[in-house]
Amino acid sequence: MTSIDHFLKSKPPLWMRGDVDYGDIIMSTRIRLARNLNGFRFPRAFSDEEASKIDKMVSNAVMDGENSLGIPFSYFSLHDMPAIQRQVLVEKHLISPQLANKTKFGSILVSEDETISIMINEEDHIRIQCLQPGLQLDKAYQLADEVDRLLEKNLPYAFDDSFGYLTSCPTNTGTGLRASVMMHLPALTVTNQMGPLINTMVRLGMVVRGIYGEGTEAVGNYYQFSNQITLGKPEEDIILDLQSVAEQIVQKEIGARRALLEHASIAVSDRLNRSLGVLRYARILSSEEAANCLSNVRLGIDLGLIPSIPDKVLNECMLIMQPGFLQQHAGTTLQANERDVYRASIIREKLQLNDTDSN
Amino acid sequence: MICENCKQRPATITVTQMKNGKKITRHYCDVCNKQMDHFHLNLDSEEGSNAMQKLFANWFGTPSWSVQSVPINNTQTKVPNDSCSQCGMTYRQFLEEGKFNCPTCYETFKEQLPQVLKRLHNGATEHIGKVPGSVNQSYQMKRQIEALRQDMKSAVEAERFEDAAHIRDQVRELEKKLQTGGEESDEH
Repeated sequence: MTSIDHFLKSKPPLWMRGDVDYGDIIMSTRIRLARNLNGFRFPRAFSDEEASKIDKMVSNAVMDGENSLGIPFSYFSLHDMPAIQRQVLVEKHLISPQLANKTKFGSILVSEDETISIMINEEDHIRIQCLQPGLQLDKAYQLADEVDRLLEKNLPYAFDDSFGYLTSCPTNTGTGLRASVMMHLPALTVTNQMGPLINTMVRLGMVVRGIYGEGTEAVGNYYQFSNQITLGKPEEDIILDLQSVAEQIVQKEIGARRALLEHASIAVSDRLNRSLGVLRYARILSSEEAANCLSNVRLGIDLGLIPSIPDKVLNECMLIMQPGFLQQHAGTTLQANERDVYRASIIREKLQLNDTDSN
Repeated sequence: MICENCKQRPATITVTQMKNGKKITRHYCDVCNKQMDHFHLNLDSEEGSNAMQKLFANWFGTPSWSVQSVPINNTQTKVPNDSCSQCGMTYRQFLEEGKFNCPTCYETFKEQLPQVLKRLHNGATEHIGKVPGSVNQSYQMKRQIEALRQDMKSAVEAERFEDAAHIRDQVRELEKKLQTGGEESDEH
């Protein structure tokens, strides 16, 4: 079992690697399966006894089953975890904000490479989550499916012949599958095309959310698209539909980027390079400003308007600019205004040209 | 600006609603606005259906910037009084909270559920797709038995009685296996 420190490092996890299909526009793919155990009430209503029993059953099923899956997992209870550590796990997308607040009975099983995490006692007893870089819905589903098969061998799943997998919220009933892709859409955003696009998506049975999932707003031009319907459609179709939607949005974004370049090349270049200037020289940076500037710099690199800054450095900046990571890095809790100063200094350091730039 | 309802008093309150993706803004005076009570949850009244829409919109998890109202026919007002045998949840409680308390709730409210699921899942009420391995076996067996029964029927119709008897034995064997192997009963 790996210690928690391994998962708190600011090294970008595997799923942030950009060198995959559509990696410049689609940041990551996520598959989530919701599962519950028969004979236990759902977390919103269960007793302390039920909670700890479920926790044991699920963690045993995975930890004992390591050999059959061939992937080493680590188990952490959120109970004694400091708030900053929990926040770092949210910022790394290993747990949901909802689980981070369930300090009484929430726990997590996470694979060493951080691509698979199993949340225990979130809204459902079990949430299997699989993250992959770029657009890799099939691969992510395959992995999640393997974990699911391992668990079902050892656990009595709540399943009904006609309703499928039974979940606490009826919006997840059926397959319990939520497939999502996180996309960076700065050109569609700046040309005001996101509103109509989101409306179309809703009509197609897709949901558009912010970067941390349910109930969060879009930050830094990142949007999460996922299926809304989980019943009456086999897993393969749900994934295929999202795949085709994602590919179409990529084409739209590419079109919008091309139009921007054609019509306002110098204005675009000015705007994007200014953002790089802000990141390199600012002394106070709010998370919102940092996210927007980083989004612009990423777009600038993609368009060839900003001389190459390695993908890895940008991803590191994106991770570390978040409040949890900042405080983890500083080794202490920081007030919002202190965070903004610290954020500016860290990003300055990461994007430095040479030593003379900094004071 | 004058209140759109009474057309007398000055409008002091702006109500913004999203309808089919379009933003509708209305201006009312304080008095009319109080009478309208936009956000009160009342399951039996006309306004109630509005509140229900909001509730369902919440279930959809649609982002706040694109909440669409879903047309709901207000025919289903019958709220059963049964409560779930495992957790004690009532159907009214479920309607208010939008979430179940245990897997047995699905069995308890299976009469009402298709209505709810239809709305949430674009008309679908039945699961198609992955089935857990243990369920899968008995499910497969049931399907096999059904297919064999069909074969048996056609064999009888074609007066191939020997074949029919043979198939009948196969069916019996499978049924026995199903009863001893899986816990599920084979009623349909």
